[in-house]
Amino acid sequence: MFSHIFKYRMKCLLRDKETVFWTLAFPIVLALFFNLALSGINDQETFRAIDVAVVNDEEYQKDEIFQSVLQEVSTGESPLFNLHVVIKEQAEKMLEDNEVAGYLMAGSPVTLSIKQSGLNQSIIRSFTDYYVQNMATVASIVQKDLGALDSLVNDIENQVTYIKEVSATSAEPNNILSYFYSLIAMACFYGGLQGSRDVSDIQANNTDTAARLNLAPVHKMKTFLTYMSASLLIHYGKMLILLLFLRFVIRVDFGNKLGFVMLTTFVGSIVGLSFGSFVSALLKKSEGAKVAVLIGVSMFLSFLSGMMYQGMKYIIQEKAPLLSYLNPLNLLTDAYYSLYYYDTYSRYVENMLYLAVFIPVFCIGTYLIVRRRKYANL
Amino acid sequence: MVIKVENLVKRYGDLVALDHLSLSVKEGEIFGLLGPNGSGKTTAINSILSLLQYDHGSIEIFGKPMTPEAYGIKRDIGVVMQNVAVYNELTVYDNIDYFCGLYVEGKEKRKKLVQEAIEFTGLQDFIGFYPKKLSGGLLRRLNIACGIAHKPKLIFLDEPTVAIDPQSRNKILEGIVELNRQGATIVYTSHYMEEVEQICTRIMILDKGRAIAQGTKDQLKDMITLGEKITVETSGITPEHIERLKRIPNVLSVEYNGVLVISSGKGQNNLEYVLEFFKKEGLEYGKIYSELPTLNDVFLEITGKELRD
Ligand SMILES: Nc1ncnc2c1ncn2[C@@H]1O[C@H](COP(=O)(O)OP(=O)(O)OP(=O)(O)O)[C@@H](O)[C@H]1O
Ligand SMILES: [Mg+2]
Repeated sequence: MFSHIFKYRMKCLLRDKETVFWTLAFPIVLALFFNLALSGINDQETFRAIDVAVVNDEEYQKDEIFQSVLQEVSTGESPLFNLHVVIKEQAEKMLEDNEVAGYLMAGSPVTLSIKQSGLNQSIIRSFTDYYVQNMATVASIVQKDLGALDSLVNDIENQVTYIKEVSATSAEPNNILSYFYSLIAMACFYGGLQGSRDVSDIQANNTDTAARLNLAPVHKMKTFLTYMSASLLIHYGKMLILLLFLRFVIRVDFGNKLGFVMLTTFVGSIVGLSFGSFVSALLKKSEGAKVAVLIGVSMFLSFLSGMMYQGMKYIIQEKAPLLSYLNPLNLLTDAYYSLYYYDTYSRYVENMLYLAVFIPVFCIGTYLIVRRRKYANL
Repeated sequence: MVIKVENLVKRYGDLVALDHLSLSVKEGEIFGLLGPNGSGKTTAINSILSLLQYDHGSIEIFGKPMTPEAYGIKRDIGVVMQNVAVYNELTVYDNIDYFCGLYVEGKEKRKKLVQEAIEFTGLQDFIGFYPKKLSGGLLRRLNIACGIAHKPKLIFLDEPTVAIDPQSRNKILEGIVELNRQGATIVYTSHYMEEVEQICTRIMILDKGRAIAQGTKDQLKDMITLGEKITVETSGITPEHIERLKRIPNVLSVEYNGVLVISSGKGQNNLEYVLEFFKKEGLEYGKIYSELPTLNDVFLEITGKELRD
């Protein structure tokens, strides 16, 4: 009996175009959209050499150390500067035309001219400061040991890398991942549509087919549980497709904890399904209205957990911390997030435990409503 | 007794949908529940099936109390509900197979039953169709197939012919008689008196949730005073004519508006007298015909209103 009901339920759900759209096609389209919208942020993540001019005058010609240091930071695999060696007038003009972020002049000390402040300008300034401060040491080292030049350049580069990273926090590449985590969590919750359909298809006052089912010699809860397991299997399958898509087409980096990501998605699918069935059991509305409510609620919860605007998550954490625990979608997002960011599992486990509390709440709530076997109205 | 219902009361808020309804259905009957829209037919069936909560009354099927958990009873019941109840995502074959499989274990047995149901409803050419692609009549037939594939001993059909063309309707009615011939007891609801008259062995007339009469169609017709209704298409009838017609023995009423309708009581046949009257008066007439009372007349006489609006 179980396999009979299960088989046909699978057939039904797989052909239910609306649900397939919301649970699979929509998240994939959204992922593509995110990818497009966020690729701008991605660009900032990869550092691009800064255009800098240096005035080719007598001082510069004499200062071999300065020359070689500049040479060193302007070549190689990821150069810091894209160096233009020009005469002074030319350098001024380039700065004026924003062709370079600044220009340097050799001398003691080395001077930097910039027109405005910004990330690139502060990187050049750091470089200059560092160079000037170490000039004395440099001079003596170089006289003794030419090879020491390398280590100086290394130092400078390390310094610069540090500056780059610190400055880059405003466009944290991590944020992009958060968007995708919210997206997966939202997709998990769209599984609620299937949970909702399961309820509608078992409640005789919701659909005619459910009335027919209630007349058959099969226990209602048995049918319902069979429906739910078919839904879970299908929904989890769709979620795995989404994960594969994100991993291999969008190239979202899930770190090396793919097993945990899959487990989290499984739990997320259960929460989503049970959430949907609970909402559906509560609402005595048409299937269309239920779908609208579920999509709306899921979107809103995603919004609160930072899917549309990353800052939202932090605003809530600060202003209404309780809300971030009461929002299962946020817990789910955060579980993915902590998997990626932390080597330890404590925050992940915490999220999963809170999340796990929702499952029995939704399930028992659904059960209490659905178990009724006679209806006051049809 | 296959079904025994006593004093069934069902309220929707202030509305009393079933008012102390009692009925019993014997094995082998085609029991008709006849009543206008909103008279409580569907409510009665759903209450009997334990789908609806009712306020008062007792219901036994196959001699046992009917409850939602009475799976033993449910196994032998087939229901064709008023609304088509099939899955749009499943084909004709899959729909029948799915519902049949809820009653019958064993693949081979089920396959045979589903095949029989398909042939019975004449859906052979459509087994791969999805419900959305079926015409109204075919959809009704699928609905029936889903309800009866498991060969139940007791079948409820709630207006299975509503919104169906006459040809499909006759097919369905023949099918129901055939099911009965094969041994099923049938409860059939309709607001079409012709259908009920055509196939039912016993009829209960419902109005506003109350049983106003029951019996075979002849018994029902015997309950009323009307025995014959003569209709004449004619013109030039004067009030005086009407007065004189009324004086014919056994005539109950004479009405005229374009056509003349003369109702007579049971016993004496008045067609002869009426023809004679027309000849004597030298009145022209077109069609003239005599009818025996219908269930509509029964309903009309008991409730004072037409069965059909
Ligand atoms: N869910 C409900 N809530 C309130 N009133 C209802 C409900 N269902 C039916 N009724 C009322 O109960 C009465 C009986 O309805 P029911 O559907 O049983 O009639 P019916 O004889 O089957 O009519 P039809 O021929 O139209 O199918 C009607 O007056 C109807 O308006
Ligand atoms: Mg009805």
